Amino acid sequence: MNAPADLPIAGHWVHGPPPPNVSLGAGTIISGELSFKRFRATSKGALIIGANCTMDGVHFAIESQGRVTIGDYCYFTNALLLCELELRIGRYVMMGWNSSIADSDFHPIDPAERIADAIACSPLGSGRPRPAIAKRPVIIEDHVWIGPNATILKGVRIGEGAFIEPGSLVTRDVPPRARVLGNPAQIIGEVP
Amino acid sequence: MTLDRKLEWDWFPGVVPENVVLDDTTHVETTYSFQLFRSAAPEAVRLGRGSSIYLGVMFDLGPVARVHVGDFTLMNGSRIICDSEITIGDYCLISWNTVLMDTYRVPISPAIRRTLLEQVASHSSRRVEPAEQARPIAIGNGVWIGFDSIVLPDVNIGDGAIVGARSVVTSDVPPYAIVAGNPARVIRQLDPESSRRAVAEAVQRFNVSTLLQ
Repeated sequence: MNAPADLPIAGHWVHGPPPPNVSLGAGTIISGELSFKRFRATSKGALIIGANCTMDGVHFAIESQGRVTIGDYCYFTNALLLCELELRIGRYVMMGWNSSIADSDFHPIDPAERIADAIACSPLGSGRPRPAIAKRPVIIEDHVWIGPNATILKGVRIGEGAFIEPGSLVTRDVPPRARVLGNPAQIIGEVP
Repeated sequence: MTLDRKLEWDWFPGVVPENVVLDDTTHVETTYSFQLFRSAAPEAVRLGRGSSIYLGVMFDLGPVARVHVGDFTLMNGSRIICDSEITIGDYCLISWNTVLMDTYRVPISPAIRRTLLEQVASHSSRRVEPAEQARPIAIGNGVWIGFDSIVLPDVNIGDGAIVGARSVVTSDVPPYAIVAGNPARVIRQLDPESSRRAVAEAVQRFNVSTLLQ
């Protein structure tokens, strides 16, 4: 496939090539200046994107040990992928403007632990280890549609063909072909 | 706006499309807002007098879409996804990261979406063409929409209503109602009669007809 004139394609990143541990399939396009601004992954094959995907203005905020795989023909618009552990996204998945997925709480729930974390994260906390933080992989199966402003939280598995309405906050698993809406997201119907 | 439809203060090297109607009382911060604009409809966007369209507003308009905005309406970061018609009244305040969508653009059926995504990948523009029936949105006068809120297709919002932050509006909102939540519910109802009178008085007091001359 030829590279469209106005969009950079794999290997033709606007600010140079993508990081070496990113692999992009044929016909996959990444555009947007901030795509790898928060990319801190160090492991081999930290981000694997299949063929013929459109990743427009997506933030790949992947922490050092994080791994993200995205299947063929996915179409994401200004999505935010926050990964400390693992995001597994299938094929033909669409993510709308300003939608997000996170596989971590980023900070502990326990109040005392959170003080330790705030100190460890502060400019004075150099070298202090951070407390343990809950992380669980997120799995998005094939043909899922995620609307604008929707958020998917840690440990969630979204079944094949499910339809996540705009603005939903998904905190629990979504069965295949379910249609969900709300905060927290509730099943409101089925995909025909 | 200059004769060649550029904005003197613009940081983005774009132009205001020919079928966007505005005058010198309208403020458009940047032509970046028209980056996804591809409507060929006459008067595809009409911006009222004294209205302001700040950074972050994105007119994502399909081939026949029309968006009409009233006088003194302020928009500050709305994603407008429109394939049919979105009308917004006078004196509306529309906040950050709001989404006004008259269409899902793609069908809910995974099988049709799959074919569509394969077609999109073979086109250099990578644009998703409208493949779903759009249903117009109408927002009345003096409506205030809080940040991160979403208005879904086929929704009408009555005059003077307030939509609380992060609401998802899935059905019609009566005039002078206050709604909040996801999905949005009426949490308070102002008296339409006295509210209408007070609004009419305020319009008089501010001598609006003179301001618009």
